[in-house]
Amino acid sequence: MSQAGYMNNYLLRSSGVLLFLTLWETAPRLAWLDPYFVPPLSVVVAEIGLLLGTGDLPIHLLVSSWRGVTGLFLALLIALPLGVILGRWLTGLADALDPLLRVLSQVNPFALLPLFLLFFGIGETAKVAVVTWVTLWPILFYTITATRTVDPLQIKSAAALGVTRSQMLCKVILPAAVPTIFIGIRIGASLTFFILIAAEMLGAGSGLGWLVHNSAMNYLIPRIYAGATFIILLGFLLNRFLLYLEKSLFAWQEYPASWTTAGEIRPYVWRPGKGAAIAGAATLSVILILGACEVRKLNQEAMAGAGGSSGHAKHFGTPVESGSGGF
Amino acid sequence: MARDADVPQQIQTDAKIVVKGITSVFHLKKTRTTPAGEFIALNDINLEVRKGEFLVLVGPSGCGKSTLLDILAGLAHPTSGGVYIDGKKVTGPALDRGIVLQGYALFPWRTVRQNVEFGLEIKKVPKQERAAISDNFIHLVGLDGFADRFPHELSGGMKQRVAIARALAYDPEVLLMDEPFAAVDAQTRESLQDELLRIWEATGKTILFVTHSIEEAVFLGDRVAVLTPNPGTLREIVKIDLPRPRHNSDTRSSAEFGWIRRKIWELLQNAPSDARPHPNAVPVADAISPTAAL
Repeated sequence: MSQAGYMNNYLLRSSGVLLFLTLWETAPRLAWLDPYFVPPLSVVVAEIGLLLGTGDLPIHLLVSSWRGVTGLFLALLIALPLGVILGRWLTGLADALDPLLRVLSQVNPFALLPLFLLFFGIGETAKVAVVTWVTLWPILFYTITATRTVDPLQIKSAAALGVTRSQMLCKVILPAAVPTIFIGIRIGASLTFFILIAAEMLGAGSGLGWLVHNSAMNYLIPRIYAGATFIILLGFLLNRFLLYLEKSLFAWQEYPASWTTAGEIRPYVWRPGKGAAIAGAATLSVILILGACEVRKLNQEAMAGAGGSSGHAKHFGTPVESGSGGF
Repeated sequence: MARDADVPQQIQTDAKIVVKGITSVFHLKKTRTTPAGEFIALNDINLEVRKGEFLVLVGPSGCGKSTLLDILAGLAHPTSGGVYIDGKKVTGPALDRGIVLQGYALFPWRTVRQNVEFGLEIKKVPKQERAAISDNFIHLVGLDGFADRFPHELSGGMKQRVAIARALAYDPEVLLMDEPFAAVDAQTRESLQDELLRIWEATGKTILFVTHSIEEAVFLGDRVAVLTPNPGTLREIVKIDLPRPRHNSDTRSSAEFGWIRRKIWELLQNAPSDARPHPNAVPVADAISPTAAL
């Protein structure tokens, strides 16, 4: 396909989004919709700009990211080794445990919120635990399946060289399983995002979910839309990024059907090198360290301000805290 | 292995590979339709392979030839008997034997070069030396310029060349090949056969080659061991006196080639059928045809 054809295709594919955005702008302005309840796009964008300008949005973003990344890390820490052990060595146990694991994976942490509060207390631990619990299962199931279904011929041809157990794991089983495991991680990461926003709405003093919830409690309608739009944008970008990462990390695979590319041409695929790995690790470290500091600070403020004015009121200059004092 | 104690750990021999009294019995589990029982995959196989010899095992499916190759590779254990390489008993897989399987079995996440270097990594060859060795073997199988390609970018024939280079790179003395060309088309198959003979002459490896194609066996081998099923028995070893170097174009058209092919076909045809017939037994002539895969 030619370059122009590629561009046309791109325009065609994004026309639905463009139409939606146009309607969003015009419908309230032409009074098809009540602009009080549905502010036009430009107002919402201005509100996002305002929130970004005051530094509120970046802080809530950082806090939410910290919770999400911490929860995801913990889930990986538990699910990956467990999945490899169950998928590779204790396959009998994996079969026996499968019904139990399936039942557990259906346990909705919100349905059992009192139990979570009992075990993990109130505050950050409970939120991270909810995220970890939900993210754990897709990663675990995909890891078990991935390590179980490694091509026996590949294992045989490595075994014929007399490789040790650890060589078999590191040089054959993990590389073969990692694309499937990554799908589990991608699904887990999307779930993390959903569940985190919900958890923050139920009980938190900061974070993107709290921002929306707090705006709703205070009838700051453009701010609801600003928060929600920002969350949608973030979720979309996260998903896109993970898909892109998957495509470039596992370029050695034949294209699975899910990697739809526009047209038949195989686009140039960026292969991540050492620099990209360092940049990724640095970003995650910044989120973890700065996020931890910020969460600590916010929680201390909330504690200090628990009697009188809320610690977060000053972020917005609005009277807040109705039913969102924390888990 | 109850009878393992009777098998000596070492024997005195000049042969590269000695297969001594190999019997392999599989225990069949009871199912709804069949009673529990035993299936004799290999029955008292005795075989000697000279250093540098090209020996082909030919037989229909179910004659135990792949089982025998697995035992030689150290991936399976015989019920009784033993395999010796340079007089030493084989107890498990090791880097003195290279293996090439039917389905390529390349590692798709590794480039051609990284696939070829796999055995060298296991052998702990330093990184600088690896590159030189893999260059050499990639050149030997005629894949110059493809070193940094991934397997999915290659054709079937090219993948099988990579598999051969991978098995040769860590310098095993014996190359075990289990129907390596069964999955490629006829033309590619012929050129791979020519290529394999060239590589064999260049490297002087001892090759044990399993196939179900009589033509392929006669064309490649110094000797052809004919196996018949139910139970897997070594029927006869046929010496192939066709002159070398052989080429697909002229060797196949010689009268002698046709005569040997006919002889092996008859050996497989007239396999004794007094043994317990397997419930799924197929007449040998149906399972193998002299023209199968050229």
